[in-house]
Amino acid sequence: MSKETIDRKNVGVSQEAVDQMITTRILSNDNVQFTKTEGGFLSLKSDGKEYARVKVLRLFPFTDPERYISVRDHNDKDREIGVIEELSAMSKDTQDLIHEQLALYYFTPQITKIYSIKDEYGYAYFHVMTDAGECKFAINMGASAVVRLSETRLLITDLDENRFEIRDVTKLTQKEQRRLDLFM
Amino acid sequence: MELKYDIPALSALPLEQGEELYYCVPYDVSQEDRSWITDGYLAVSSKRVFVLRGSKVQATYTISEMKHTRAEVTIGGGMLVTTINGVQHFIVRYSAKHRTRFAYMARGINILSKGRTEKVESHERETVCPKCGRALTESGQCPKCDKKGGFIHDFKEMVTPYKWQIVRITFVMILASVVTLLNPHLQGKLIDDVFKSEDGTMGKALFFLTAMFILGAGIVVINVLKTYLCTLLGAQIAKDVRKKMFDKLQALSVQFINDRRPGELMDRVVYDTGNIRDFMQHTFCNLFTVAFIFGLDVIFMLAMNWKLALLAFSSAPFGVWFTLKFRKNIHRRYHLQWMKMDDVSSNLQDVISGMRVVKTYGKEAKEKEKFDDLADEFAKVSFSNERFWSLFNPLIQFIMGFGIFFVLLYGGMQVLDEHMSAGDLFKFVTYTNMLYQYIQWMTSMPRELTGLVESMERINDVMMQEARIRDDENAVAHDIDGEVEFRHASFGYKSYEPVLEDINLKVKKGEMIGIVGPSGAGKSTLINLLMRLYEIDDGELFIDGIPLKEIQNDYYHAQLGVVLQETFLFTGTILSNIRFAKPNATYEEVVRAAKLANAHDFISKMPDGYNTYVGEKGMTLSGGERQRIAIARAILKQPRLLILDEATASLDTESEFLIQQALERLTQGRTTFAIAHRLSTLKNADRLLVIDDHTIAEIGTHEELVAKKGIYYRLVKAQLEMQAQAGA
Repeated sequence: MSKETIDRKNVGVSQEAVDQMITTRILSNDNVQFTKTEGGFLSLKSDGKEYARVKVLRLFPFTDPERYISVRDHNDKDREIGVIEELSAMSKDTQDLIHEQLALYYFTPQITKIYSIKDEYGYAYFHVMTDAGECKFAINMGASAVVRLSETRLLITDLDENRFEIRDVTKLTQKEQRRLDLFM
Repeated sequence: MELKYDIPALSALPLEQGEELYYCVPYDVSQEDRSWITDGYLAVSSKRVFVLRGSKVQATYTISEMKHTRAEVTIGGGMLVTTINGVQHFIVRYSAKHRTRFAYMARGINILSKGRTEKVESHERETVCPKCGRALTESGQCPKCDKKGGFIHDFKEMVTPYKWQIVRITFVMILASVVTLLNPHLQGKLIDDVFKSEDGTMGKALFFLTAMFILGAGIVVINVLKTYLCTLLGAQIAKDVRKKMFDKLQALSVQFINDRRPGELMDRVVYDTGNIRDFMQHTFCNLFTVAFIFGLDVIFMLAMNWKLALLAFSSAPFGVWFTLKFRKNIHRRYHLQWMKMDDVSSNLQDVISGMRVVKTYGKEAKEKEKFDDLADEFAKVSFSNERFWSLFNPLIQFIMGFGIFFVLLYGGMQVLDEHMSAGDLFKFVTYTNMLYQYIQWMTSMPRELTGLVESMERINDVMMQEARIRDDENAVAHDIDGEVEFRHASFGYKSYEPVLEDINLKVKKGEMIGIVGPSGAGKSTLINLLMRLYEIDDGELFIDGIPLKEIQNDYYHAQLGVVLQETFLFTGTILSNIRFAKPNATYEEVVRAAKLANAHDFISKMPDGYNTYVGEKGMTLSGGERQRIAIARAILKQPRLLILDEATASLDTESEFLIQQALERLTQGRTTFAIAHRLSTLKNADRLLVIDDHTIAEIGTHEELVAKKGIYYRLVKAQLEMQAQAGA
């Protein structure tokens, strides 16, 4: 079975579907125009098509949050419209709009200070300061609530499935680090 | 779950005549700067939705304009979104804590916007104790506030059946203490009456030595007895708990099991009950003896020479203080060591189970490097710990025993002054050493108790669960005829993420229903509901017109025949695996079932025939062979309701064709639900069900659906094209 026969058999719809599946459309300043909707979301005009509400997702949220932003059509089962490779290469307006939307879709407060960690009955109670303000939460000690993203980076998931991040454990004071020892 | 919080700001809401307040729930993230807030609330009346912040109304929406309100799940949180005049509007955002609450809000608002007036209620449990803020266990109880008698109560309940054994142990313990305390006394006497005395004779010496020998032998016997009794008690209690837990685990829903990592539950059954055994065996049993000897020891010492006694006690507080001070440190050190060990073993497990991948990608060197690093780290930590311990332990003993020097100095002076006999001093020193030993033993008590409490908590967490799927009180033993009906059935594994919505389906007796649709659409969920592994959230499911809830669970399951995509074979022989559902099946029946499943041939060719042992997960068989055994297992049972979830997916075309033929005979007159990706598998289906986007998208016969040119038509076309390609 040669390649040609496959190509000839695959006519019309499915060929397009295959193309769509394997190619990534790169979005750049030339082919997109984002606008904020009255409802607080983002609409997009791109290559003559209009999308009433698009969703933005980070493809590498931990390793590269500012690159590879996937833009998806919310009204068509979040189908991917394209990918912004380098957010900083986009126009200032676009950057602002995308950042605003990202802040809406992502909520992972970063822990900057640990006041106390108390463990009791198999749960650990955290009292911390985050970049979203002071907060208290509890995690299940039995489950894998604390994930080491790297040697110094932690992702903590609490009982409600809220997520907290510690970017760099070594930036905390010795005392705070010792409180964390149980989870490292 | 609370859906109507009572807050002061509510009284200030500008409600109109006839406008009733329905719900009020908190949102905890501000939309301006995405920071935590505590004064945000969303209030819903019969006509409007108010977004409150403190006492201010920040936004108002009219419900009649709100179409299709949804609680969207975002990363680490969620937001409430509605559509007004065709434009989607953001209403509020919240953290993951309130996802479920807002899922109910969305449902409530949608009901109101359709002009209905009923209120939604949530039977879901809160995750945090409203009184003290502690995390609640799965059963919704607060480990602190809801304790009926608490730990002491649970402990008592656990040991009560063994009270006579405990009495016996206590008796042996007292005996042991007496003997232990008597020995120094005799030794003292030996010194005073024989060695230091004028009339010390060989005969007297022999008398004391014989007595000491008998006591020594007595201690050995008593200790053996003690160890025997303690071990027995510990093992029995742990066995009890383990059995009870296993029972409970089987009674609990699949949901409960799936919500946890399997290792976690295994830990509870194995490790936590082991903890209880250790505690009973080593700590609990010795508790009485130690307390008893300790008390007597102190009394003896005070009675013999109270000044010397106080001198001996003087160093103990330092030792205790020192031990307590370092306990946390020690705990952390050993916990760290344990974690590093865990890293090593999980890495090892990873590599061993992924050995084929590692080898085929040629990554042995890289994996070795990784493992070496982990092993080094573990070695470093354990070395540091051992070094610490080798320093700490003698030091603490030195500090603890420091008093002995004073005792010897002061006591020696008294002996020289002839205020005290040498034997008495010897006796006293022995008692002092004993005292220090016991004090040290007791300093570890708090830690062991904490360990026990934690283990019991974890065990109780499982034991207190109420099986979610339980028989109704008047559940009947119903013989299935084969009529199945779903009525407005909705279900989601997580309440804020519906997997199936508003399923309506009526199946006649003997009908074969083929279920198709994209993966993740909810096909397997539908049959999970039918198998009653999960209970539907909303709506109803009837079997022969009887609500499934009112049919006895065991009786119902005994009539199901199930072949799942992932075939599971238990450790044992092929024979025992086929007989799993019907242990008393005759050889003829087994062979017939195997023949129907097209399994007889390959089984008979195996060296051990039907007695072939299939190891854990049946590793020695191919996927297709395993599947055929599973089919035989289902057939043997003569089920009234047959459920096939990709039952023939791992078979080659020829076997599939043969089994199709066999199944055709089997499904005659039996209601059958079959999920399949290969549409040819479903060619015998009376009706086809297309599940898409969480609901039934299309239903009808093959011809009807093809004529409709919808999803099914596209699926058929795609598969035909694929076959054409393969044939080209």
